[in-house]
Amino acid sequence: MNLDKQSAHLALIEQLKLQVGNISSAIESQGQSVFGSANIMSPDEITDFSIEFLELMVMLLSTENPLDNQQPEFEALQTFFGNMAKQILVRGGKMEDFVRYIQFLQRCFIESLGQDEDINTNDMRTILMLLSSVFNELTLAVFGTYLHEKESTIDAQQRELRETSTPITEIWDGVLTLPIIGTLDSSRTLLVMEALLNRIASERAAAVVMDVTGVHTVDSQVSHHMIQMVRAIQLMGATAILTGIRPEIARAMTSLNIDLGTVTTRATLSDGLKEAFRILGIEVSKK
Amino acid sequence: MNLSGLHLTSIGGGNVLLEPTTSLDIADFPPVLEAVLERLQKNKTACLYYDLAETPIIDPVYYTWLDALARACRTMNIRMVCIHMQPTAAYSLAHQLTEMPAFDTALDVQTDRA
Repeated sequence: MNLDKQSAHLALIEQLKLQVGNISSAIESQGQSVFGSANIMSPDEITDFSIEFLELMVMLLSTENPLDNQQPEFEALQTFFGNMAKQILVRGGKMEDFVRYIQFLQRCFIESLGQDEDINTNDMRTILMLLSSVFNELTLAVFGTYLHEKESTIDAQQRELRETSTPITEIWDGVLTLPIIGTLDSSRTLLVMEALLNRIASERAAAVVMDVTGVHTVDSQVSHHMIQMVRAIQLMGATAILTGIRPEIARAMTSLNIDLGTVTTRATLSDGLKEAFRILGIEVSKK
Repeated sequence: MNLSGLHLTSIGGGNVLLEPTTSLDIADFPPVLEAVLERLQKNKTACLYYDLAETPIIDPVYYTWLDALARACRTMNIRMVCIHMQPTAAYSLAHQLTEMPAFDTALDVQTDRA
């Protein structure tokens, strides 16, 4: 008997219903060995997963065109796997294991078809193509979730790094130091300026020593941001002292026609602090 | 001394404190500017402290008023110092400016006098 696509799907559903017990126990058993042993999922969660997965699969196969990935049944299955992947990632599981598990699920279905002797080669090919397409989409959904989660983690780490990489310290009454390390891009300048200006207001700082020893390269944008920061400090009524300008930075700023004429500069952070103390009339001497 | 939209207070030593109120109309500032300058001249003012504590944002219109006042003060040999500039105002102004403004800045009157 030569089945069309729709009847092949029906055959698969029939087979799925007949073999649901075996498939379910195989899925559970494999789930326990992959996720249970590493405490990624509890036995109850694995059982729930197996049941929900089989239900969603039957719902999808019952539709007119199970390969239509825009239909709600397909999206439900994709969302289910996406959430599962997120859960596994959050709990420290490996994505490779989950992808192998998805391949195992596909193998379970294919193996179950071997029990049905009425399915001929053509029907088998149609069903295999269907299974392959569905599981490929599910793998892609999991991969998408994995990438999204990784990107979120990297974004969060970058945000944290930006916030902690520019510590503003009150080194003396009314004197703030700001070591800048790395590149000053627009978003980082915004964060640093916001934090710095608020600190000037709250600490009533009269001098800010900005140390750029850790800045290795400077382009027009970076220098523009530095000048904006200096200007904002001056507008608040504090004195800005720029220290640690490397020779290559000085050369680059000169070639960029950037005038630091209105900015107090000193060679080192130590010299910058001495200048700040001089401005405040503070004298530091040995006993 | 009260003018429409601002308070002028003599704080000694030839210094005057200007506190703008929310009713200050800077859309048409020349009359206000003239009135302020007249008061400053009568008072033999050496330094005008402009209090920005209640000004969270300095937009281009407000900056034009500040700049005009500072330049006018300079022509009358009066130094203008903006005090209590808010972080938000400093941030927005730093982005607008291409050169340092005509007025000086200080945290407050005491800091500037020290």
